[in-house]
Amino acid sequence: MIEVISLTKRFGNFTAVDSVSFRVEKGEVFGLLGPNGAGKTTTIRCLLTLIKPTSGQVRVSGIDALRDPQQVRQLCGYVPQEVSVDGDLTGYENLLLYARLYQVPRKLRKKRIQEALEFMGLADRANSLVKTYSGGMMRRLEIAQVLVNQPRVLFLDEPSIGLDPAAKRMIWDYIVRLRDDFDTTILLTTHDMLEADELCDRIAIMNLGKIAVTGSPQELKTHLGGDVVSITSKDSNCFGVLQRLGYRLLSPSHDGVCDLVVQNGEQEIPRILDELKQHGITTNSVSLKRATLDDVFLKYAGVRIEEGDTTWKHARLTRRTIRKLRQ
Amino acid sequence: MTAATRMISGILTITEFELRKVFHDSSQVFVRAIQPLLWLVVFGGVFGRLRVLPTGSYSYLQFLTPGVLAQSVIFIAVFYGITLVWERDFGLLNKLLSTPIPHSSIILGKTFAAGARSILQAVLIFLLALAIGIQLHIDVVSVLGVVLVIVLSGMCFSSLSIFLASMLKTRERMMGIGQAITMPLFFASSAIYPMDLMPTWLKVVAIANPLSYTVDALRALLVTGDYSHLPRDLAVLTLATTALICLATTSFKRIVD
Repeated sequence: MIEVISLTKRFGNFTAVDSVSFRVEKGEVFGLLGPNGAGKTTTIRCLLTLIKPTSGQVRVSGIDALRDPQQVRQLCGYVPQEVSVDGDLTGYENLLLYARLYQVPRKLRKKRIQEALEFMGLADRANSLVKTYSGGMMRRLEIAQVLVNQPRVLFLDEPSIGLDPAAKRMIWDYIVRLRDDFDTTILLTTHDMLEADELCDRIAIMNLGKIAVTGSPQELKTHLGGDVVSITSKDSNCFGVLQRLGYRLLSPSHDGVCDLVVQNGEQEIPRILDELKQHGITTNSVSLKRATLDDVFLKYAGVRIEEGDTTWKHARLTRRTIRKLRQ
Repeated sequence: MTAATRMISGILTITEFELRKVFHDSSQVFVRAIQPLLWLVVFGGVFGRLRVLPTGSYSYLQFLTPGVLAQSVIFIAVFYGITLVWERDFGLLNKLLSTPIPHSSIILGKTFAAGARSILQAVLIFLLALAIGIQLHIDVVSVLGVVLVIVLSGMCFSSLSIFLASMLKTRERMMGIGQAITMPLFFASSAIYPMDLMPTWLKVVAIANPLSYTVDALRALLVTGDYSHLPRDLAVLTLATTALICLATTSFKRIVD
């Protein structure tokens, strides 16, 4: 459904997207996972023909996005990361506006709007001004807005950013229903491991403009090969010693924490600690967990995704925008 | 659907929903009538008594009313650039750009809305002017003419504002420039005093200022009934509007970069 071949986008000297290739199949929820600044939004905006790629090819449903941008836009729906509903219009009007902009035939408009409102659970508030909505309702309305077009491909940029856990859960349920009930192909970006894990059929891990690895969340976790043992030690030699002993380490140690991947973690821990002791290294603490996408991310991108504070900055920004709209 | 119908339906849709927003909060129309009212009642009231300005056989208030109408048009129009920056800061503009309507129809729709919105404002000022007893020349031709001039001027100055927004890109700068251009546009026109009184340099500015032609046309239609300059006024306004709309539609995509 979506085909991207060595897409590159440069802004001046800065390469935002660096020769990225991937395919999304029909009826699939595909996630671009990465920290802010990884190039996810730029990739989406190239696919939607909002910006011109520096080089590369993009096809949506077989249509060349560079040659026929208007036709591609007619097939798609886009929910940007920032708040994109108009607070000064009612919910119904926000949908009517998009039904008209997507040229939904006059006879079908009312029905489509009603369906979209009911699907997203907003029918009872349709005639209230959107500035009286909660943040979660605004997000749902934003998705309802593009549903009036019955898009074949839906682009969701950070669909749950800035939402509380309950509202987040709700959005996830709707996204899954869109895939299951309407066979909609969905491409979403996220920095949220849990979101990627729960929602996506396949994910691509993206960092610094490049895709590091693609696969289903399960595949990627299995690929990591077992459990993650985190050892904390004040001794700076700890990492080197573990490496010499032949353990698989996820990334250079940070704050004295070494993450290593082992099979059967429970049984391995005593052995590892003995070995470290023999090499004269004292350990402060040990923990064991099943591999998560975060570990996968750490392996392929070299950093933990949640380390950057930029993500939080964005979440705060979205919340602030919602507040402003509601004033 | 052909390109032309896509374009037209895009423009009309954008315009309609801009106006719907005004109807949801009609108090802004009244709030925005306060300043013109002050100009008419306070400024016009005092200057009218002085009788220092040569306004021919008409009272100063009659002379001033078209000027105040023109002023309220630029106040509304200049605001549209700020709104566009605002919509960019939310995700509204990006989402609009992702729909299949031609991108230029978004800008044309906004400028058209600025024109239509100015009409609403003008009606109110008109009623105020009549209420305080200012005699205006009203017939079918003059009313249609006034509507045309106001819509054209609204489009003209809103596209100027959108063009500036695509250059300046932030809300703060736009607020600043909004202040910095509305008053000079107003003072460097024949809105509150006849052009003959101006020093030469100011006269040159006023001749280059499209607002002078708005005022001149409105004054001909509403006060003097002398339509001899009207073709020139309309031609200049049409030309300026076309040029500025071209500038605005080609440059506005820079605002989302």
